[in-house]
Amino acid sequence: MNIFRHELKSLRKSGMLWAAAMIALAGLFLSLYPSVAGDTEDFRKLLEGYPASVRAMLGIHLDVISSLMGYYSMVFVYIAICGAIQAMHLGASILSRESRERTADFLLVKPVSRISIVTAKLLAACTVIIATDMVFFAVTAILAGAVAAAGYSMHLFVLLNLPLLFIQMIFLAIGLAVSVFFSRLKNVLPLSLGTVFGLYIAGALLNADAKEGAGRYLSPFQYFDSIYIIEHSGYEIQYLFAGALLIAVAVAVTCRIYVRKDIHAV
Amino acid sequence: MNIFWRELKAGRKGLIIWSACMVLLIASGMGKYTAYSSGGASGELFNQLPSTVKALLGMGSLDVNVMSGYFALLFLYVELTAAIHAVLLGSSIIAKEERDKTAEFLMAKPVSRSTVVTFKLLAALTNIVVLNLVTLISSLVLVSIYNKGQDITGEISYFLWSMFMVQLVFLSFGALLSAWMSQAKSSGAAAAGVLVGSFVISKITDLSDRLSVLNVLSPFKYFSYNRIVAGEGLSPGILILTVLLTAGLSALTYYFYGKRELDIG
Amino acid sequence: MTVIELNHLTKHYGKSRGIRDVNLAVEEGEIFGFIGPNGAGKSTTIRTLLGLIYPTSGSAAVFGRNCTEHPEIRKELGYLPSEVFYYDNMRVIDLLNYSASFYKKDCTKRIRELAEMMDLDLKKKIDDLSFGNKKKVGIVQGLLHEPKLIILDEPTSGLDPLMQQKFFELIAEENRKGATVFFSSHILSEVQKMCSRVAFIKEGEIIKLERMSTLQESSYKRISLESAAAIRKEDFSLAGVSHLEVNGNAAKFIFKGNINAIMKAITAVELRNLSVEEPDLEEIFMHYYVKED
Repeated sequence: MNIFRHELKSLRKSGMLWAAAMIALAGLFLSLYPSVAGDTEDFRKLLEGYPASVRAMLGIHLDVISSLMGYYSMVFVYIAICGAIQAMHLGASILSRESRERTADFLLVKPVSRISIVTAKLLAACTVIIATDMVFFAVTAILAGAVAAAGYSMHLFVLLNLPLLFIQMIFLAIGLAVSVFFSRLKNVLPLSLGTVFGLYIAGALLNADAKEGAGRYLSPFQYFDSIYIIEHSGYEIQYLFAGALLIAVAVAVTCRIYVRKDIHAV
Repeated sequence: MNIFWRELKAGRKGLIIWSACMVLLIASGMGKYTAYSSGGASGELFNQLPSTVKALLGMGSLDVNVMSGYFALLFLYVELTAAIHAVLLGSSIIAKEERDKTAEFLMAKPVSRSTVVTFKLLAALTNIVVLNLVTLISSLVLVSIYNKGQDITGEISYFLWSMFMVQLVFLSFGALLSAWMSQAKSSGAAAAGVLVGSFVISKITDLSDRLSVLNVLSPFKYFSYNRIVAGEGLSPGILILTVLLTAGLSALTYYFYGKRELDIG
Repeated sequence: MTVIELNHLTKHYGKSRGIRDVNLAVEEGEIFGFIGPNGAGKSTTIRTLLGLIYPTSGSAAVFGRNCTEHPEIRKELGYLPSEVFYYDNMRVIDLLNYSASFYKKDCTKRIRELAEMMDLDLKKKIDDLSFGNKKKVGIVQGLLHEPKLIILDEPTSGLDPLMQQKFFELIAEENRKGATVFFSSHILSEVQKMCSRVAFIKEGEIIKLERMSTLQESSYKRISLESAAAIRKEDFSLAGVSHLEVNGNAAKFIFKGNINAIMKAITAVELRNLSVEEPDLEEIFMHYYVKED
């Protein structure tokens, strides 16, 4: 428990910063909703004149966009990127920090097993992420209420926001697993930014032609399709499963490697 | 010069990885071109979409059915990648001496701080030029494989020029942050924050014209893609302003690094 | 009881550094010296004892239990590294309390005692401490839980002579109370003062393991003298003399053996100047190396 508390204390400040940044971002996007909603409304009227087949092709998106939930789901990806960077960075630095700041000699000669160190640190990281998300969600729900013209479904809003937590957990686990392969990770940022943006770009490019197919498993950003969520009020079970599997494998790899790792002198 | 070679050598592995990622990005992006261009029938309708809707769909105000428009869409990600590289390079190349506790070693040598900064910035500049050239060559080659229509070599060169300017801005900004902030360790995080911030701003300003004044904060928006796609090249005024901005940021880097209390603990 | 037991301990680092087939047994209540030049494998051995690195083959045991498999043995273990690094943004007292929280006993009193003895300001931030003061934090941190085994890795670097003195008193006191001490160093005089037994390590292998008393009996002296008349080599050709250099009226050599024998030889010449010194570590080593190789 002492490691957990120690980590929590040292992560507190950055956690609050991230929550503030994500709230600001969501607030900015939400404040633009009324003007965007006006634009799409005009366009929908124009669409009425087109044949049904063309409408079908684009219409579904338009219906979705002009509603607050649809709009939110479209801008949500940028919030997810922020959250993913936070989580990946947290994961990649929380274990490697001891080697980087040369405090490994302090912590690892204490009478605690490596597994319990990993557990305590992982728990602390999860706590910070969950706390960030809860604050973010509470404030965003109020903001959404303020801009929604005709009320909105809280149930759907929760469903749309939960993927943030899922995506963060996935990136947290990836970050942990990647970091244990370095004997001394000097600079975490290129790693976390590279991975997050790399997977985001990969996801955006894959999205272009195929909604389905093996390629979609590649990018965690594509696991939670907002249109599916809005239409079905639920998630695609196979991707939830894939995410859970990814987390389990990454955490297992982390433990396996970290427990057998040589901690070298400075 | 020894500092220059040392930095080049130290950054070699990173540069190779970044270049490889860049080539992969362009290759996989071009691979998707057929998927976009085959939707030709909807092209006309697509052009009538309000720009905000297109922005939400992730396409900005570009006509992705023609090669230059599609390349512009892809270029957004290419530019983002290059900018991440530049800002991290800029902040780490100066901050790393303190981070790795080698500042004492370097500063005890008979070189002035401005010489150190000069060679480090030159080495970083070489890195971004190489990444830019890799991007240019792989874009030209890969586009020519997929392109059935008009030749867009000119447009691509303009795009890459604009990318070079954006790289310069982010590089010098990263360097300035690490020279200015008292905690060398946190300068990387600050630089990354600025980068993500300006990326998000560029997305937000797509959504509403009222906010276009914010574009000044986002180098991604300095050079209009539409202008390049239309074959009009880069606006000379903005080009000059960007160069001046880079020069200003670099000058401040020298100034702050000269006064810096090095943390050699 | 055997506190530390190394059995054919081998660790390869890539190709070059590491240790080969190290066998050691340290008994309870001993102060055991571990001597070797930089890069000989001292830290590698210690890091295996601490469970920080895993042996390639062989085993290391503390209190009869394997170091890498039983983290609980570290409850009774205190470690002072040669360079200390702690969480920069913490205050000294917070760090010490954090350290104490791992041992499940109340260490507040001991922390105060040690801090007073070492003259350490508990309220300061670790960031603001000098190297020597960080080292003091390290000492308090390593001893606050009254460990039964104290492992010291070149502990005196960065401490001024006064503090070194206090530090050795502190270690001696702990030893009197029953703690076993494993003391790694490259400074022979430190080890000579305190240790009951000494092991020499060179290029990853133990080349000599001796009782301090034996080592002192056979202790080496470096003798240089000047006489009024020219010195002949034969004047000092007796058993125990080595590395003899004669240069006109001056002579230099290393002597090992009965000190009375050499004194007789020295008084036979008319002296103008004489110095008898402890040879430094390097000379001792060279001596061992010449013999052992």
